[in-house]
Amino acid sequence: MTAKTQARDMALVGRRRWLPLARSHGSASWHRVRYPLTRRTPLLFETRYNPFTLATERRLVTVRPIAWVLMLALLAVAPPLLGNNSFVGAATLFEMYAAINIVWMLQIGTAGIFSLASLATVGFAAYGSAALSIYAGFPWWAMWLVGPAFGLVFGVLIAIPATRLEGFYYALLTVGIAELCRVYTVQSQPLGAANGGLFGTDGFVPDSMSERHGIILGFYAAFVLLLGALVLYRMINGQRLGRLLRAAPEQHEAFAEALGINYRAARIQVFLISSAALGGIGGFYATLLHGATPALFTMDQLLLLLAMIVIGGIGTAEGAVLGTLIVVLLDKVFISLGPSRLIFIAAVMLGTVLFLRGGLFGIPAQYQAWRGKRQSERRAAQSDKGGEIMPEEATEIADKQAIYTKRFDANLRAELKRLISDQLIEEHRTTMGKRRSDALERVLAHFRSAAVADKYAVLAVKPFAEYRIIALSGRRGVPPRVVDDRLFATPEEALHGVFLKRVQDLMDS
Amino acid sequence: MTDILRVDELSAGYGPLGVLHGVSMTVRAGERIGIVGLNGHGKSTLLKAIAGLTGWQRGSIQLNGVEIGGTRSQGPGRFTHRIVRMGLALMPQGDALFHGLTVADHLDSGAFTTRAWRERKQRRERVLAIFPPLSKLLAQPVGRLSGGERRMVSLARGLMSDAKLLLVDEPSLGLAPKISRGLVEALMQIDLADGAMIIAEQNLSLLEGKVTRLLGLHAGKLKGGAVTQDTALTPHLLHHH
Amino acid sequence: MDPYYLVLTTVTLASIYGLLALGISIIWSSLGMINMAQGFTFAVSGYGAWLVAQNISQSGIAVIAAGVLTGALSGALIGAIAFIPLYDKPNFPLRSLIATLAISLCGGQFLLWIFGPRVKALPKIFGYGSYHIGTAVISREKIGSIVCSVALLLITLAWSKNSRRGLEIRAMMQNPEGAALVGVGLRSTAMSVMMVTGAMAGLAAVLLSQNYFVSPFAGATPLVKGMVVALAGGLGSVSGALIAAVLIGFIEAVTAVGLGGQYVLITQFLFIIAVLLIRPRGIGGMIEHSRE
Repeated sequence: MTAKTQARDMALVGRRRWLPLARSHGSASWHRVRYPLTRRTPLLFETRYNPFTLATERRLVTVRPIAWVLMLALLAVAPPLLGNNSFVGAATLFEMYAAINIVWMLQIGTAGIFSLASLATVGFAAYGSAALSIYAGFPWWAMWLVGPAFGLVFGVLIAIPATRLEGFYYALLTVGIAELCRVYTVQSQPLGAANGGLFGTDGFVPDSMSERHGIILGFYAAFVLLLGALVLYRMINGQRLGRLLRAAPEQHEAFAEALGINYRAARIQVFLISSAALGGIGGFYATLLHGATPALFTMDQLLLLLAMIVIGGIGTAEGAVLGTLIVVLLDKVFISLGPSRLIFIAAVMLGTVLFLRGGLFGIPAQYQAWRGKRQSERRAAQSDKGGEIMPEEATEIADKQAIYTKRFDANLRAELKRLISDQLIEEHRTTMGKRRSDALERVLAHFRSAAVADKYAVLAVKPFAEYRIIALSGRRGVPPRVVDDRLFATPEEALHGVFLKRVQDLMDS
Repeated sequence: MTDILRVDELSAGYGPLGVLHGVSMTVRAGERIGIVGLNGHGKSTLLKAIAGLTGWQRGSIQLNGVEIGGTRSQGPGRFTHRIVRMGLALMPQGDALFHGLTVADHLDSGAFTTRAWRERKQRRERVLAIFPPLSKLLAQPVGRLSGGERRMVSLARGLMSDAKLLLVDEPSLGLAPKISRGLVEALMQIDLADGAMIIAEQNLSLLEGKVTRLLGLHAGKLKGGAVTQDTALTPHLLHHH
Repeated sequence: MDPYYLVLTTVTLASIYGLLALGISIIWSSLGMINMAQGFTFAVSGYGAWLVAQNISQSGIAVIAAGVLTGALSGALIGAIAFIPLYDKPNFPLRSLIATLAISLCGGQFLLWIFGPRVKALPKIFGYGSYHIGTAVISREKIGSIVCSVALLLITLAWSKNSRRGLEIRAMMQNPEGAALVGVGLRSTAMSVMMVTGAMAGLAAVLLSQNYFVSPFAGATPLVKGMVVALAGGLGSVSGALIAAVLIGFIEAVTAVGLGGQYVLITQFLFIIAVLLIRPRGIGGMIEHSRE
């Protein structure tokens, strides 16, 4: 092997993932930091022996928790320190939308109920708690408390059809329900049809606070809300309910049911819990913005939310947060363009669904699938490899001798193929039992050395009258199989038939 | 003798999975070829690759001298309708029928090529002569037929077109032995004229002695050019090199 | 309650709803895509008809033709963006749903940008005046819209039943792979489906704009109504969609007379939810079920 090909082989080192390494010594392998009262660890370490140095090393299996903590810390510190009032306001909106999207992800991803009424749930609770505040004088903390109750009521109402409908039928129905809410709030006088919304609720910012401090207080309240949504996501998706539902993905519910998983109850449970959480966010919304507007029920708002989770990738909390960040940023950066900035957002959304299977966080998986396909195609394109092992396959074979044996075999077959000609076949037919040329002897020697499994043999059906070609099974007790239905009159003809078959196999290999 | 189908170094698969590895074969006018092999060794994939229905494929496929293969790495089925209009009929596993449409609609739908559509009445008579049980079922929706009748509809639909090359995937799958034998008999009676037929089948005994040639497909490669009639092996070899 | 008035209102509403729902239903069953951009097609056809009425001709035929043509073009555009690049990719139903949503978002803003927020009125293409049927009075425009939509519905149904293209579309509805195997080009057939359904939405837009105005977001309500009617009828079932259109039109007429206009949506929704709770696949599903 030349230095050049060696270098190429080194470059193609399979598909191992690079993982951060930590040094290890003795008890460090077994010592784990755990959250109090649980068996959960903050970071997932895996201890193993390095196959070359035989030293123990600890590998961090996923860096995700570290990234989360860093990002959340940045979010908690940066906007109030660096941004002006409108920037902090935008960050507050981002946190609230992110919270809604995370909880929504529980409904769509974990529970598998494709509800498009998430914002309608928020709006219902916002209107409910705002109405109680205005007409019954509820203070802000009471609005936070009744918000989840309203959300739960709405959740129960829209969960009834969810028990019967599936997939898109339900999605369309929830779009209709949101439209129903919008029309009702636009027409209803007690809900502020004349003012374009229901305003004048109690707020949690004390009157004595300056404007800047009030905005920052709102920001941190929304930050706590976001943390709460993340904790809820983790508690449901990562624990018992989430695992039950992961065992019952769409189309495979019957298997889960056969295992005794009551997936329907689990789905509805998750749906109701997340509806209550959305209601809580609704109550918060009403206190933050001092009211509620019919805009909560419009198709455009729903679209914006959908754009957020689609861009990030449906099914993960980080996708929801990243998508929300992108859309809110676009929304605020292009705010000077007025409503036509929605065109940018829609274009980004369109680009995402046209080119990405699972949003931004689906890119690694999509890339892996694409690379797998390309590798397979490339292997197919190299039709002259003749049974040799390709470098990328070689990394997965422990016994390197097998690779060289294969290479030798391939070269040998290529050499023998060059010897096969019509004259050689004719010589085999005519010189049965006589002395043969060197080329024919070499070919025959190769054929005779074949392994017993699938080796051709001649079967005398009626001696001196009917012969057939069979293939040995190579296993004790397993009879040979008939290769084809051709009959030969003499053993010589049959032997020549076997020779032709072997030549054919050689040429095809 | 004209070559209806010429496959050269065909590799095909789905995503990261390669199923066929460098398959070459030639089918001449008037031939009935049987392809035998175990489950999962690429029989269906070979037929699908000829119809352009695999995930990706490489290598050349010539139908009546027109290249229909080539390198394709996405879009399964994107060109199938064009290949079908060039004279291919595939009767796939699972039949790919339209459950709500009637048998008569199916026969009409088999004749979507312009010439066939004009003479679909005569063609229907001809096909019904091959599958007589269907003439009583013409007004029935296919969803209500039995498995054997459905297979007949699938085959009849394929025969309605102008196809030069008929590909039949597992005619016996899921049917009682007697019925499948009857179906294979019907396939053997079809007048190929200047066309050809490829039948993929797991059950070797169904085809033995009835087809022009039997090819074995093992692990995505053709094994043996077993010949049951006078056509010798050598021309096939010569075509290789 | 006047029975003649009820029947007339029901028929008027049912013909419009049928036109809206049938398009969504056909697209879902033949393309496997939920076209949320149907509302955009609706709005853009209204503008197309308005432009022709302003600049070329006020005659009824020209205005209708302009609406239908714009609708067909818009349908083709949606098909080219949301169906052609996606139909053989993984996760197609969800991705195409979102793509059509994005088109509808983009398109609405685009119309707003070009034509401004002021609403436009189409000319009264059926003229003024009214007739007496029994004890009820019916205006010419109502009769015109009933006749037009019923005619288009009948033409579409007959076309899908008898023509070769219709058989191709029905074959594709049942089994796309099988359709490809008999030589149906999925892309070209899909584009023709999109154009036909776009034309339906275009006609509905012109007819509805006799009573309402043309505006960038005029399509939202017809879209939602058409969608829930299609849903109640059973996605993909033509007869189901028509039955649902009649039933829902009737409920709207009764509610408007008996309870008042603001309760229409509520009673409609209660009805649809009740239907879907009994038959999760809609009315069409019910018919198919009883046939088996």
